[in-house]
Amino acid sequence: MTALLDLLLAAGLTGRGGADFPTATKLRLAQRHNAMLIVNACDGELDAAKDAWVIDHHLPEVLAAAERLTRTPFTVAAHRDSATLTRLRAAGVDTLAVPPRYVSSEESALVRLAHGGPARPVMRFTPIAAGGRDSAGRRLPPTLVLNAETVWRIWQIIEYGADWFRSYGTQDEPGPRLVTVVDGVRRPGVYSAQAGDPFAGILDRAGGLTVAAQTLWLGGLGGGFLRTADAHHATWSRNSLAPYGIRPGAGTVRILGTEKDPWQEVLRALDYAAGETAGQCGPCMLTLPAVRDDVAALLRGTAQAGTAEQLVRRTAELGGRGACHYPDGVAGFLASALDVFGTPGPEEQPCR
Amino acid sequence: MSSPWLWYVSRACGVVTLVLLTLVAVLGMVTAGRFRPHSPLSAMAIGLHRSLALGMTVFLACHILTAVFDTYVHLGWLSPLVPFTSHYHRLWVGFGAIAFDIFLAVIVTSLLRQRLSTRVWRAVHWFAYAMAPAAVAHGLMMATTSQPVLLATTIACGLTLACGTLWRWSSHDADARRRADIASEEWT
Repeated sequence: MTALLDLLLAAGLTGRGGADFPTATKLRLAQRHNAMLIVNACDGELDAAKDAWVIDHHLPEVLAAAERLTRTPFTVAAHRDSATLTRLRAAGVDTLAVPPRYVSSEESALVRLAHGGPARPVMRFTPIAAGGRDSAGRRLPPTLVLNAETVWRIWQIIEYGADWFRSYGTQDEPGPRLVTVVDGVRRPGVYSAQAGDPFAGILDRAGGLTVAAQTLWLGGLGGGFLRTADAHHATWSRNSLAPYGIRPGAGTVRILGTEKDPWQEVLRALDYAAGETAGQCGPCMLTLPAVRDDVAALLRGTAQAGTAEQLVRRTAELGGRGACHYPDGVAGFLASALDVFGTPGPEEQPCR
Repeated sequence: MSSPWLWYVSRACGVVTLVLLTLVAVLGMVTAGRFRPHSPLSAMAIGLHRSLALGMTVFLACHILTAVFDTYVHLGWLSPLVPFTSHYHRLWVGFGAIAFDIFLAVIVTSLLRQRLSTRVWRAVHWFAYAMAPAAVAHGLMMATTSQPVLLATTIACGLTLACGTLWRWSSHDADARRRADIASEEWT
C-alpha cells in the first residue's frame, strides 16, 4: 500500500470528481482510519456523463483498482434508475442506489446514505475519510469516497506508471482527464482531454460546432461561462481558467448559441439549483431561492429599484457558504454569469 | 447583619430582575419565532436578548446576596440554590431557587455555546419556559400586598410572559416548515 501511495504521489493524481484534491493524501488518511470505500459513479454535476462512460467502458479496471485500495468489500454508488446502476448490478457489483438529487452524490451525503441515513450532506469537523458526524451527532464510520474516473486513473497508473501519467497534462495538473461535451456539437459525448488542451481541439474531437457559439458553459452549477473570444486564448486547465473566475470542475462543456438569451439558460439552472437544496444550511435554503427570484424579476422587468445591486450583494454573500459548499459553487456560477452577460434585464422588444 | 436597606435593595433588585427577565424572554421568543426575520430589528433583538440576559445576572446576584446577608429572616447559603430547603416560605423561596438554577444553566450553556452541540444548548434553553412561571410565582407570592405598584408590575410581567408564550406556540415559522417539507422529500 505504501508503494502504491508513493506511486500516486509521484504521478500527482488528483480527484476527478471536480475538487482536484490530491488522491494520495486522501488515501493515506483513509488507510490510517481503516476507511471503507465508496466509488462514486453518480455524475452528480449538471450535464456530466463521464462516470457513466467509465463504468460502460472500463468497469473491470475500476473494480481491479478498487480491490487494490481496500481489503474490505467496497460499493459503487450510482443514481437510482440510471443505466449505470443497471449495468453495475448486471456485473454483480455491490451498489449503492442514490436518489437523483444534486447534493445527494456529494461525498458526505453518500457516506450518510451508505450508513443508513438520508443522502443529505453533513457538516465536516474532520475529513469524511477520517469519520464524520451527522446532524444528530451520531458518528459516521470513516469512509473514503473516490470518483469513478479517479479509480480508473489509479488502475492506469499501476499499469503504465507515473511517467506515462505525467506525459499528459501540465506540470501542475498532470494526467489525462475526461470531458463531457453537451449540445451544439456534431457528436456530443465523453472525450479524453488533458490540462492545457485548447478548446478548439476539444470541440473538434466532438465533431465541431453546429451552432454559432456565444459562450462556453464549463463545469455545470459549480463552474461558469467563458466568452468565445476568451476561449481562443484560454486552455482547458485550472490555472488558465482561474483569471476568468471559473474552474473546469467535473469537466463539462456546454455551448451557448448566439440565438438564445443566455440569462434564460442561467435562470433555468438557478431554478434547478434552488430546488436541489437539502434544506439544512441557511445560505442554501434561503439565499438560493432569493437570487433565483431576483434574476427572474429582473428578466421579467418587474424588479423593484435596487434589485440588481441586491443580486450582486447576495451573490457575494453566498461565496464560501454552506456545509457542503453547494451554495458556494452556485455563487461562482452566478458571479461568472453577471461578469460575462452583464446585469439581467427584460428581452428587448423588436422596433416597429 | 440586619438593616431595612438590605430588604429594600433585595426587593428592588428582585423586581428589576423580573422585568429584565420578561424583556429577555420576549426578545428570545420574537427571535425564535422568526418575527420579521428580514428586518434589521431582528439582529438588534438578538443582541439585546444576549446583553440584557448577561446584565440580569448583576441584579439577580444582588437580589440573592442581600436576601442571604439580611439576618432578619434566616435563609442560609443553600436555599437559593437547592429548592425547598428554606425554613422561611419553603415553597415560594423554593420556586425562586428553581428559577435561579435554570437561569444559571441557561447562562452557562449559552457562554459555552460554541463548544456544545446545538441540541444540548437548545434543550437547556427550552427550560427557560419553566423558569419564567417559577420566577413569577416566587415574586407574586412573596410580594408585599401593601405595595400595589410592585404587585401590579409582577402581574404585568406574568401576563406578558404568558402572551409571549402563546404567540410563540402558535407562530408559524415559514423556515421550519420549509425545512420539514424538504426533509420529507425523497432522500434515501
